[in-house]
Amino acid sequence: MSRTYISRHPLDDLLPLEPGIRAVDHLDIPRSSAIVSVMAMDGEEASVTAGLAASGVVSIRFTGPGELLAVSQSETPESLHRNLSLLLAETAYIVDQSDGRVVFRLSGPNVRRLLAKGIATDLHPAMFEIGASSNVLCGHISVNLARTGENEFELIVMRSFAVALFDDLKVMGREFDLSAGFSVRV
Amino acid sequence: MASLIHCPHCGVRPKEEFSIRGDASLVRPDPEASDEAWNDYVHIRSNPRGRYREHWQHGAGCRRWLVVERDTFTHEVFSVTDAAIVKREGSR
Repeated sequence: MSRTYISRHPLDDLLPLEPGIRAVDHLDIPRSSAIVSVMAMDGEEASVTAGLAASGVVSIRFTGPGELLAVSQSETPESLHRNLSLLLAETAYIVDQSDGRVVFRLSGPNVRRLLAKGIATDLHPAMFEIGASSNVLCGHISVNLARTGENEFELIVMRSFAVALFDDLKVMGREFDLSAGFSVRV
Repeated sequence: MASLIHCPHCGVRPKEEFSIRGDASLVRPDPEASDEAWNDYVHIRSNPRGRYREHWQHGAGCRRWLVVERDTFTHEVFSVTDAAIVKREGSR
């Protein structure tokens, strides 16, 4: 028996298909991203970090000692997995997480005040620099938070928590009239 | 309770991100040890007023087990070390 599986985004029913009016503070949700987890073998942590930094194509998120997430918006999950497996064949274990995680992109001048309602970590520009990333607790949900720009943050969350986190972010952003929508495909 | 823990991997974090397993100074007895030794190991705990070493897991962060040395009376935290490092140094 063959079955057809349809790829659905967990927020499909909660967001309009057409992008609405974009407010100053905006929550942008890419429909698909390529995400793989990279776990360095014992004693190879430094060479894995160096190898990934040298490859330059992916953005690296810290999740724990020797454990990283590699995120790419341009590559497909298959090609990202293949490329990193070749690059780090002898030094790390690579597992595809693309269908298991959801990416939230927050941008706008009030983003830090918005995030402060759920995250207890210091997000001051001098403390949490551009490119910094870490696992943090947002409300009751563990997310991977990264600073991607001056006032831009990316949250990567487990797929099953995406709806709950989306609801939380909407409540947290109500004061700032946060708008939300899927990324416009280029 | 100490409300801010300085995780060696993630930096200063609130205690809500951690879960506590308990006393880190216990040593597992030999399998052939007496019932009394095993009873002590499994059930009997001291409840000190003062310095205490505990296993904490940073579940919402790096997910590593840490050994936290803190004061149960003054809430002061003396040291936080990755449990793997503590074990490696202990067996040396």
